[in-house]
Amino acid sequence: MICWSCQKAAGDGALCAACGAVQPPDPKADYFRVLGLPRAFAFDAAGAEQSYKELTKVLHPDRYARADARGRRASLERSVQLNEAWQTLKDPVRRAEYLLSLDGIDVGEMSGVGRSGQYDDHVTLPVPQVLLMEVLELREALATAHSASDVHETEALVAKVRSRLVTVMDDVARGFLATPPELATIAARLVTVRYYRRFLDEARILWEEDTPALGGSGADAG
Amino acid sequence: MPVEALFGISEPGESQVKQVCKGRAVGIDLGTTNSLVAVVQAGQPICLREGKSILLPSVVHYAADGSVVVGQGACELAARFPEDTIASVKRFMGRGPGDAEATRKLTPYRFAPGEAADPMVRFSVAGGARTVTPLEVSAEILRVLKARAEAELGGELDGVVITVPAYFDDGQRQATRDAGRLAGLEVMRLLNEPTAAALAYGLDKQAEGTFAVFDLGGGTFDISVLKLEGGVFEVKSTGGDSALGGDDFDRAIAGRFLQAMGLPGDAGGDPCVAQAVLDTARVAKEALTTASETAVSITLPAGQTWNGRLSRAELDGLVRPVLDRCGPAVRRALRDSGVAADQLSGVILVGGATRMPIVRRFVGELFGAEPLADIDPDEVVALGAAIQADLLASGGRGDVVLMDVVPLSLGLEMMGGVTEKLIHRNTTVPCGAVQTFTTYADNQTGFDLHVVQGERELVADCRSLARFKLGGIPPTTAGMARLKVTFTVDADGILSVAAREENTGQEASIRVKPSYGLTDDEVERMIRDSFDHADDDMGARLLTVERVEADRILGATRAALAGSADLLVEGEREAILAGMVELESAKAGSKHLAIRGAVQSLDEASKEFARRRMNAALDANVRGQALDSVERKVGKP
Repeated sequence: MICWSCQKAAGDGALCAACGAVQPPDPKADYFRVLGLPRAFAFDAAGAEQSYKELTKVLHPDRYARADARGRRASLERSVQLNEAWQTLKDPVRRAEYLLSLDGIDVGEMSGVGRSGQYDDHVTLPVPQVLLMEVLELREALATAHSASDVHETEALVAKVRSRLVTVMDDVARGFLATPPELATIAARLVTVRYYRRFLDEARILWEEDTPALGGSGADAG
Repeated sequence: MPVEALFGISEPGESQVKQVCKGRAVGIDLGTTNSLVAVVQAGQPICLREGKSILLPSVVHYAADGSVVVGQGACELAARFPEDTIASVKRFMGRGPGDAEATRKLTPYRFAPGEAADPMVRFSVAGGARTVTPLEVSAEILRVLKARAEAELGGELDGVVITVPAYFDDGQRQATRDAGRLAGLEVMRLLNEPTAAALAYGLDKQAEGTFAVFDLGGGTFDISVLKLEGGVFEVKSTGGDSALGGDDFDRAIAGRFLQAMGLPGDAGGDPCVAQAVLDTARVAKEALTTASETAVSITLPAGQTWNGRLSRAELDGLVRPVLDRCGPAVRRALRDSGVAADQLSGVILVGGATRMPIVRRFVGELFGAEPLADIDPDEVVALGAAIQADLLASGGRGDVVLMDVVPLSLGLEMMGGVTEKLIHRNTTVPCGAVQTFTTYADNQTGFDLHVVQGERELVADCRSLARFKLGGIPPTTAGMARLKVTFTVDADGILSVAAREENTGQEASIRVKPSYGLTDDEVERMIRDSFDHADDDMGARLLTVERVEADRILGATRAALAGSADLLVEGEREAILAGMVELESAKAGSKHLAIRGAVQSLDEASKEFARRRMNAALDANVRGQALDSVERKVGKP
């Protein structure tokens, strides 16, 4: 890459190796590269956050408020890409989905249910009948607990699903550690995760309606 | 009211470039009750004084002779000329006449008649000789602060950072920006008040950790959660109520006095009585910050005097219901931040109302921790604004960066009036989102894009930001066009939207810049509603989505039965028709899961038929014939 500012070789970094001007992002760079991390599911959260914040300090548009238009634009685009990368990778579920997408497998946002008007050229994964039944039963139990304002029952359901979620995510982590990674298994588990997470979101809304005080992390979807 | 009339839509290339200069850059806290200005000198933020006072009361008096008095002088004129003396103007920023109605119950102001669709309220002042907008009133306050800073710094200001409640929507922000421009100021940035407070704490007190900022001002309530670490100020979440504050306490207390005096709740429509009672209420409230009981005496314009007492316990009883309204916003902000109350390093208090013992106790109970108030809660926001002004003007310090968030979600209207959020609230800015959409109907040659702001699931409940069209798409079957929509929010929080049809390369884009003064009690109502109706909403959204889907599948199946009857095997037509009947009846009901179930059974019943049709179509395609539009739709899992 040639630096737009000094016309010399800019190198691979965010800033030109020769003059230090911020360079436009490479749209093809994967999020791990954007954050300077190894491409793996295993994740050093503290180290990654450190790296994200150090890069933010260097690239944030506030630092280029006085720069010329190209510098401001490059800083904006770099920052958008950096924030996107961090939002995606810091969450283990989104990180797993992203890793699959790099291998051409798209788990899709609402697997198995096409949403009208949304273009969907990826293969939607089948949703096992067993999972649908399980979630349906959980929902019914939740609705019953809510109509009885039974906070303890709601919390018990949340705890149950959270522990199932942990088990499933353990499978995902194991799947990535295998050689070669068990992509099909991971994809199937991620479909389950989506349903569990949606259940937890709904449970949290109902739980908050039934709970007057602020509370701690009780019904956090994790 | 047409959206185009409310929003100026400018082309992306149009200048939004700010002149940012070195030197005299100041921070201004344009408060509901008081305003102040601060600057960084020798690395330290300080508030600028005029005489002895730092605080400039946010009160503007318009005299009948055309002169304008701002600040303490105006306060003194308020009792005699309540209608010509505007206080708490911030409450009216970006508000239409319809919104003002709610606060009009006990305000002494005369509102100029306006159209319901008028984007701004107008006060009739100077004995009725003049009409002014909230924007002009705010500009008067800013002019005084500008003059104070210029006198102190010895020259023209290069740029300012003005603070706004984190919860201000785009209309209120734009009104504030425009007030700055009207006062001849170069507004480099609008900074959220809690963020400003955190900047002051972080840099001055070297605070590190995750903090909640509880900001209860005269007219607004804000809550933000921030992580301060190694010079990085990361806003995790923000929320609040842009129509809740110390003024509401005054009104509650005044209501009690009026009741005791045997007067109606609107003071019989007499502005002088209203003003006198509100003033007395404020004085009593302030006295009870230290005293446990205070004597109250109100002399009515007609001459009679009412004497009473107010105890702190009574005050607490009046204030508590107003305070309780903070609860939902606090909870939402904590939830969005992913931080539990017990994981916070501390709670920072901002705003004059947080001096009240009951407010401190409330915050302590709410968070289970003693709140921090080391920096004067009246000054902390201006000090933070000065720091940000200095950072921006000096092109940033390598060691400090402020990462703010989008306060309200941004999305597009989908088929059936459902909102598709592209950027969720509390996403770190700058940020972007890309999503691909397709056509719903056959031979659709364009897309109508409707950009909305808000948390509700249905477009009708959100705020419309802009509409634009992308045309020139060649007629084709539904689902064939690919529309790629890109949202970008820059560090100033300004949204740009670009749309591109991937097959033809047709493009359109806009920069969404709301014009000031939008009618808007909407945001806090929307948010409160979204909290109250989250359940209904989700149901309504799912139902709409499933109904649209059901229609699509029914239409496609009907067409397939008509067009490929020869491919049906025995009994198949009956099974498919039964499935269609079942789906029709599920669609008429209000259970989205029932519709989804019926869609699945119909899919099941028509699966083999669809497979045969697909094969036949592929054969036909090999012979160079076009695919029938319904082929790809039927038999979709």
